[in-house]
Parts: sequence; structure tokens; C-alpha cells
Amino acid sequence: MDAGRHPLIEVLTNAEVTGCEGEPGNFTVTVRKNPRYVTEECVACGLCVDHCPQVGGNEFDMGLMARKAIYRPFPQSVPATYVIDSNACLNFTPHLDERQRRRLEKMAKYKRKVDPEYPPNILVCGHCTDACDVDAIDFDQMPEEVEIDVGSILVAVGFQEFDARALGAYGYGRLPNVVTSLELERMLNASGVTGGHVVRPSDLETPKRIVFIQCVGARGEGGRPYCSRFCCMNAVKDSMLIRQHDPVVDDITILYTDLRAFGKGFDDFVTRSKETASAEYVRGRPAKVWHDPADDTLQVFVEDTRGHEQRRIPADLVVLSVAAAPNEGAVKLAEIFDIETDQHGFVARRDPAVSAVETSRDGVFVCGSAVGPQVIPDCVAQASATAARAQLFLTGHRHEDTAEPVEPMDLDGPPRVGVMVCHCGVNIAGVLDVDQLAKDAEQLPGVVVTSTDLFACSSTGQDELMETIKEHKLNRIVVAACTPRTHEPVFRDTLARIGFNPFLLEMVNIRDQCSWVHAGTPEAAQDKARALIRMGVARALHLEQLQEGSAPMTRSALVVGGGIAGIQAATDLAVQGFPVTLVEKSDRLGGRLAEPNLMLLYPNMRPASEVLAEKIERLHKSGARVLLETEVENITGFVGSFEATIKGAVDEVLPVGAVILATGADLHDPGTAFRFDELPNVVTSDQLERGFVTEDDLGFGGDPPKSAAFVLCVGSREPEGFTGCSRYCCPTAIKQALKLNERGIDTTVFYRDIRTISTGAEEMYREARGRGVLFVRVPPGHEPEIVGEKRVEAVRCYDELLDRRLEVPADLVVLSVGMRPRQPETDHFHEMLKASVGLDGFFLERHPELAPVETAVEGVLLAGTVQGPKDIVDSVAQASAAAAKASVFLAHDQVRLDPAVAVVDPEACRGCGDCVDICDFQAPALAETEPGVFTAEINPSLCKGCGTCASWCPSGAIIARHFTDKQVLAQIDAFFDEVRP
Amino acid sequence: MTQQVSSSGATSTAPTGAFDPRIVVFACNWCSYAGADTAGVSRIQHQPHFRMIRVMCSGRIQPAFVLRSFEKGADGVLVSGCHFGDCHYIFGNERAVEQFEKTMNVVKLLGIEEGRLRLEWISAAEGGRFAEVINEFTDQVRALGPSPFAVEDAIDEIEVPETGGCMNADKGEGKGEGVGEGEH
Repeated sequence: MDAGRHPLIEVLTNAEVTGCEGEPGNFTVTVRKNPRYVTEECVACGLCVDHCPQVGGNEFDMGLMARKAIYRPFPQSVPATYVIDSNACLNFTPHLDERQRRRLEKMAKYKRKVDPEYPPNILVCGHCTDACDVDAIDFDQMPEEVEIDVGSILVAVGFQEFDARALGAYGYGRLPNVVTSLELERMLNASGVTGGHVVRPSDLETPKRIVFIQCVGARGEGGRPYCSRFCCMNAVKDSMLIRQHDPVVDDITILYTDLRAFGKGFDDFVTRSKETASAEYVRGRPAKVWHDPADDTLQVFVEDTRGHEQRRIPADLVVLSVAAAPNEGAVKLAEIFDIETDQHGFVARRDPAVSAVETSRDGVFVCGSAVGPQVIPDCVAQASATAARAQLFLTGHRHEDTAEPVEPMDLDGPPRVGVMVCHCGVNIAGVLDVDQLAKDAEQLPGVVVTSTDLFACSSTGQDELMETIKEHKLNRIVVAACTPRTHEPVFRDTLARIGFNPFLLEMVNIRDQCSWVHAGTPEAAQDKARALIRMGVARALHLEQLQEGSAPMTRSALVVGGGIAGIQAATDLAVQGFPVTLVEKSDRLGGRLAEPNLMLLYPNMRPASEVLAEKIERLHKSGARVLLETEVENITGFVGSFEATIKGAVDEVLPVGAVILATGADLHDPGTAFRFDELPNVVTSDQLERGFVTEDDLGFGGDPPKSAAFVLCVGSREPEGFTGCSRYCCPTAIKQALKLNERGIDTTVFYRDIRTISTGAEEMYREARGRGVLFVRVPPGHEPEIVGEKRVEAVRCYDELLDRRLEVPADLVVLSVGMRPRQPETDHFHEMLKASVGLDGFFLERHPELAPVETAVEGVLLAGTVQGPKDIVDSVAQASAAAAKASVFLAHDQVRLDPAVAVVDPEACRGCGDCVDICDFQAPALAETEPGVFTAEINPSLCKGCGTCASWCPSGAIIARHFTDKQVLAQIDAFFDEVRP
Repeated sequence: MTQQVSSSGATSTAPTGAFDPRIVVFACNWCSYAGADTAGVSRIQHQPHFRMIRVMCSGRIQPAFVLRSFEKGADGVLVSGCHFGDCHYIFGNERAVEQFEKTMNVVKLLGIEEGRLRLEWISAAEGGRFAEVINEFTDQVRALGPSPFAVEDAIDEIEVPETGGCMNADKGEGKGEGVGEGEH
């Protein structure tokens, strides 16, 4: 949506790259635009679809639903233009026999006879041409080659689904009730095939027993060797969704290998799923799925590795969580762009630890699942990272301001309210009677027109909104849809484009806070939605037009922290020509990589010192100002005009427009756990790594070890404290175990789930097992016990797979410690900048998927582990993303000011100064307007718009714009306008 | 209206056909309103008898808003904001406490039960907690029955207790210490 409407983005759909010439900074790319046979005149009215006689399978719904030969790929598609499928359309029908063809041509000839205007080509069908009111159908379109001059290229071709038919034992393609996770996803989608309900494809009944099979085609076993990263969470989420939509489902079983809930907050989600018993988790890979013809059910044969029990799990529906395979076209595309692919067919990166998005060729970047399976937050961070890196080749073309001023509409006069109620597919309409809500709203005072829309936020919905405004001369808009926190900007933006003052919009949240949370009580939910709309309209009547202001932007940035993330962020900004100051507390750059260096960095196994040296060289070349042994004492101000007081190498007050926090994380201190404080040869993974770098004999005060044991999840995934996964420890432990194994040390790894989710890590895990590293699965609550008097001699533990207690000799125990928010830095910057901290103590991103590197405070961005545990590859990607986001601010010399702030009515102000006392942003000040007469004034640059002063002002002289007393009181009154039922 | 709540979270102790209270919830944009959205995204079901009014900060919620709600017939009013130290506007929520205490004094003077007014801190991440608070408060208000003001012409019949409290809560005379805990 945002991309489709952006003035600087041209979207070519139905197109493919056929050639690429030139060099970085000056590529010429040839693109073939395939004909869609529908011109841009199309208004997406859908009349052609009603008239089209031909039916084809719907790709978007995974073939579960049919579509016509002329169609719109999916409801929110950009562009909204329809397209004709030449394989299904009657006008492209070489498959018709001569007789059929002659008959159709005869028909067309007749049509032309009665209507000389009838299009002249060999239209054998032409129903759509007849139906189209705007003459948008054009069968004469031919493929068109266009040449585009570009500075850099981003490859984001994604992945395709692994074909589950390759695993015949699971019966996909043969047994109708075996479906893939994507097919299930379409069913569960409220606007999908079955409107959010899960059914058995064979008889469309709701299945009572559902079995998920994980890792289908992933992690070896007849498929791809790597882990697909997203399937575990997807299955957990789907199981919870099924429970909500279809309470009649009795049993959901998830057959998994390791539960890889590695992302921020993922483990909490799984815990909630387990608490609400949304699914039974069984660890095991099924041998086969068998169809029992007697009662038309399925039987899944699996060995439950807990207790080695052979189980036959009956199922009405089996869901295969299929792996992500490389996009088929990726190899061809890679050839065209002359970039390398890896052994699996994904686009290869030069070295992910140096830059997460660089391909083997300069000027060509890659992001998302084109490099291997990714979860959405990582994809988004990487995508921003590519944007930062790509800008390097665009110098000279950047910062062009393209916004054309729009003539403001005349919106004065008595309120004329338009109410738009959104179905949001069936997200809302599945629970609420949307038409009735619109009808009820018609009766409300001030309402001129009401409408409903399938997706109000789609470009069609937005266009309709603009039309309605013009047609009915509306001057207030109430949109009853989702939460204003995510969608108010979308609607405001649309309104601004036609010169409609965006502050005359009121959003009513009937999805997130109504249909989604009161699904079990639709009647009460309907009452609530009706009341909320009534309240919204009442408030809308009192809304006022507000005009946005602007303030200057200091076009330079401050990066706090000189670890790998800080280095990356500073470099990326500096190469774009922005003045950057990087401040590092210690006397050297490199952070954790340099204290002392880590050994080798997976996946490329390059020495950390080498990677770091390369990055530091890039930093120095970039022109960034680096200040070692310097600390940020204080930061005041706001986006565009922060002032950072720095002390150390230099003492100065630095004006900057944006701040990137890259202060890193601490490692967990095990304390007395596992007798860490007591025994010298119980060490942390950090200490071991240091041992490797210094080529220590790893005796830790004794003889070199003959055997070693790793304990994973120390200080991670705790029931209390840090409940999340630290992400980096599994691959790191395996890397270290391999290193010990090389020295001939018998190595055992005690783990809960092996989460080798980063590139190449699964392969490393496989290698370790092949080389004889022992992996012992330990359920939570059975922590390994350390045996030994003065030094550790053995580890005793319950092995879940063998179902008995083991004692493994170990002269060295390595605790793989998790990450912790770094203190006191986190508190220090939290206090100064007011950027929120999450429940886990790490800085909270504004949105995990939409804004993974931004904070709620404009102009303050997060890079690396300051936001949550991650490994070097992910930290580097996130740092580049933060730089890209910072450059969005720095690209302009003005910062826009929100007009929804507090203002003083000088007539009413008695000059008491209470507002000055209570404001924490120093926005109000008393001015002597006449000798002895004081009046408060509020600085719009400093005011944050909280409105506290307005509620405090004893004489009611302060108006909190957009949340005025009148507006709020009108809302309250409107709630009680309706008599209690 | 029947009071049936889906099995997936909303726990109402009320019998079918019991009185459904009308509750106004004031929420700040950054934490508690976002927490309610989080409950939505996570589909955490809760009781539907409240109506949300969003303001930017809990510090904006002045006594007049709460009192007007009761005047119009609210059976309960919930004021919610960010946890201490988590306010988007630094100390807006601490101002909210002062405002709340003033309001509570007036509410008590008016003869409205303390249990009908509550102050809660809910963060953007705490969807589950938002649902819990709503369920608990709804049940609590339901147990109290309809507000005396919610009955037609009730205002004339209300007996104002002679506690001699100060109606003019200009600077919050510290009357309402600990009121936040009183109703649990």
C-alpha cells in the first residue's frame, strides 16, 4: 500500500527481468512487461468478473478456491487493476477444436454486425469487453520490453513452497485431507476460502482432530538440509487460531523436532499456547500418514521420542508445515545479475557477518527469504538494511523533495459527517453485522452518508472514501475499522492527498478492541460497536482543522556504542555523506568482538579479528567521526534538534538530528548456578571463546580436558526472569563443540531445543552429530547436576530420549549464557530519551514487523542487541536498517511538527504558572504580556501533546488540541444516549 | 442480553441474565490503549460491556471526565495508563494519580461506591492483563449493581454523606491516600 502510493516508487507487476548491463552505480536493466490485457483505465469495479464465463484455479488461495479468467489476484493487490489469465481466457484458446472456434467466431462476427463499434480483433468471447464501462480491456496488448537505468539493484524474490508431493509417505496430493500449512493459512484467513474456518477438503466438515507435521522437507529427511525458521511459530499460531474460530475441534497435535521459538517474545507465545492447552506437543517425526478407508480418517504413525512410544494418532486433517525452497527463478535471475547462489539455490551473500545484504557483486543487494528462510521481523530489518546499502550508489539523486502541495479543501460550515464501516474481510464482519452498523449510524446527528467496505484500507476503499467526500461534500469522516494506532496514518495520508484536513478524521476501533476480543458474544459486540461509532460521530462533530507546522532538522547523527552494530550504522550513514559521530565508552572499537576477539564467526568461519579489521577500515574510510573513551552524559531535545552532551575525548554539546542506540547487551552471570562460582572448570561460553583465541590448553587451572559438556539455555528461557531465547547460543555452542571435537575432546551438549536457525547453522549441527558430538535432550525442570569436589568430574542428568538418568564424564563444563539488557546504559538512555523498554528489559521496537528498528520516540533508533538478543549477522543487518531509517530523517532540512499539541487561550489564562511547574518538557513558559500581567505560552516544538496541562489548568485556559474537553465530553455523553437495553 | 463469554479467556462469574454494567474506560494512547489492541491481536477474549475513550496520556484524564461519566449513568469508570517509569510523557501518569485521588474524593462525597472507580496501569505488551482487569472490574461493578445515578431522576434522591470533605479539589488535599487499593 505505502509502496504503491509512494511518489518515488514505480511498481511494475506482471514483469520479469531479462537482462542487465553496466556497472555498479550505472546499471541498465531490461524488463519485460507481460501484457495484462487490462489497461490502467480499469476502476476495479469487478463487472467483468461477473460476466466472464471461464474459471481457473486461484493461486492466491492455493487452488482451494476458483477464480475467473479475468481477476484481481487478491483484495489488497497493488495495482488494483484486473488481469486476464491467457491460459484460461477463451480468447487465447488454441486448445479449442476447429468447430468450437468457428462457432465462437461466428458469434463475434454477428456482434460486430449489430454493433460496428465492437473491437476489431478476433474476439471469440468478449464478454468482459461488453461488460466494461470504461473500455479498459485491450486484447491487442503485447509483451513490452523496457530499459531502466538504475544505480543499484535489490533482489527480494522470496522463496517458494517445498513440494510436499516429494515425500510420498505423507500422502500430500494423494490424500485430500492432507494439506500444507499455506493451504491451512488460506482457510484460517478471515477473508479466505472458508472465512476463517478450518474444514476437511474431502467433505467440508470441521475436523475434530488435527495433526500438524513439522519440518516437512526441512532439516534433511528427504528434503532440504536447512531449517525454515518460520514454521514452528506458524504452527503454534495456527493452533491458537483454530481454537478460537472452531471450538468444536477436540484435539490438535503438533509433531515437532525442536520447537524453534527463537524471536523476541516467541517463547512467551508458546508458553501461552501451552497454558491454554491449544495443542498437544509431541516430539517425533512421523513415518507415514495412512488413510483408513473404513471411516475415512487418517492415521499418523509416529514414535514419540519421549519414552520411545510408538503412537498411531488418528486425524481428520493433517497439516504439513512445508519447508521454504529457493524461488525457481532465482538461479536464472542470479545469472542475469551475475551474482552467486549457494548450494541450495538461494542467493549467496559475500559474508553475512560483514554485511547481511551484500551479494557477490557490488551494487546488487539481497534481502528477505531470497537468501534463505526468514521470519518477518528479520526480513523487514534486512529490507531496510538493503535500502541503506543501496543508497551508496545513488549519490546525487537523493533528497529530492517531490511532494507537491495540495490545495486545501474548504471544509468550513456545519458538520457533514460520513461514516465508513469496514468489513476487514471477516475480521470484523465475521462477528459484527456491518450493514446494520452503517444503517444505525445513518440516524446519528450530523451524519450525511454511510457506507461499508470490504477493506477500507485497500486502494479501492481509499478511492471510494475520496469519492464519497467529494460527492457528499463531507467535512468530517468517521472510519469504523481497526486501531488508529496502526491505520490512522494511512487514512490521514489519503485525506491529505485531496486536501482534506486529516484531523477531521475519527477512527473507531471495532476490530482490535471489539470483533477480535468479543467473538464469543456477537450481540454484545454489536452493541459495543454501535456505541463506539455513536461516540466517534459525537466526537467528530467537535473536531477542528489543524495545520502541520515545521521545525529545522539538524542533518547529522549520533551513534552510541562502537560495537559491530554501532560501527555498521555509523559507516552506512557516513558513506551517504551525513556527518556522523560515533561515541564509544572504552578505548577501542569492536565491542564484544574485541574483548578479546571472538574466535571464528559462523557461517563463513572467518576469524573475528579479520572481520572486525575490515569493518573498522570501512568505518574510517567513511569519514565518520569516532570518539573513543567518550560517554554521552545527557541528551535533550527532540527529533531534528537533539543536543547530546558528551564527555571524554572531547567535551562538547553536539547538535544532532537523530540518535542511534547501539550500546549492546550484557552476558548473563550464572552466579551460583551449576556451581559456576565454586569450580574453576565450570566456565561460560565467553570464557571458552577467549580460551580459544589465546590458544589456551583449556585446563582452567588443571590438566587439559579429555571430555567436555555444554549446558544450553543458561539464563535464557527461564520460567521467571528472562523468558526469551538468546538466539546466538545454540550455533555458538555447536561451533565451540566442533572446535573441542577437533582437539579430540569428547563433547556432550545438554539442550532443551536445538535452535540452529541462522544461515549454515543447521548444517553445522548435522556435522557435529556426524563427528560424534553427543546431544542430550533435557526437559525443563531437570537441570544437569554438576558432579565433583574441587573440580567438575562429571555431569549427571536425565535424558529425555533414553528416559533415564545419565552420568557423562566432563573435565570441562561450558555454560552457554544468554544475553541481558546492558546496564546501566539501558536505564540511562531510557531515562534521557524516554524510549520504552519491554517486559524483557531490552529496548522496545515500535512494532516487531512494521518498525523493528524504530522506537516510539521519533528520531531514536535501535541497532543490534540493544533491542534484544541476536547474533552478529542479525545485529549487522539491524544496524544497517537503523542507518536507513535515520537517513529518512536526515534527508530533509525540516522536521514536521504535529499540530495536535496544547495551546493557551490568553484571554482565559490567569498566569498562575501551574502549567510551567507540571510540564516535564519545559514547553509552557510565562510571558509578561503587559506590565505585571503574565500569560502562559506553549512552545509547539517542545510540546509533546500529552494534554496533562490542559487537565491541570485551574482556569481551563489550556486547550489540548484534538483531545479537547468538548470532544471527550461529547464522547462520554454519546455512550449514554442510548437507553440500557 | 445473555452473558456468555467464550471459553478462551473471559471468565465471568455472573449467572446468565445478570445485570450488564456500563463502564467507561479511559486509556492512554501509548500503553493501555495499545495493551487493549494487543489483547485483540492475541485474541484474548474479555467481557464486552465497557467503552473505550482514548486520550494521549492518562495525565489528560481530568476529574470532569470521570464525574460526567457517573452523572450520565456509568456504573463504573476505569482510568488506565502506563506503569510508573514507563509513561511516554515521563510523569504524566503520576499527575494522573493526583487527578484520580481528587476525583475519588468527590466520588465518595457523592455517595458513589469506591469500587466503581478504579485506576490501573497496563502496558502495551500486557494484552492478557488488560483482559484480566476488564473481566475483574466488570464482575466487581456487576456485583455492586446499577449505579445510583444510572436510575432515572436518581440525582435528586442521592443522599450526600456529611463527611465534610472538600469539594473543591484544587490541589488534592491528600484525602484519597491508598484509595487505589481499597477496592480489591
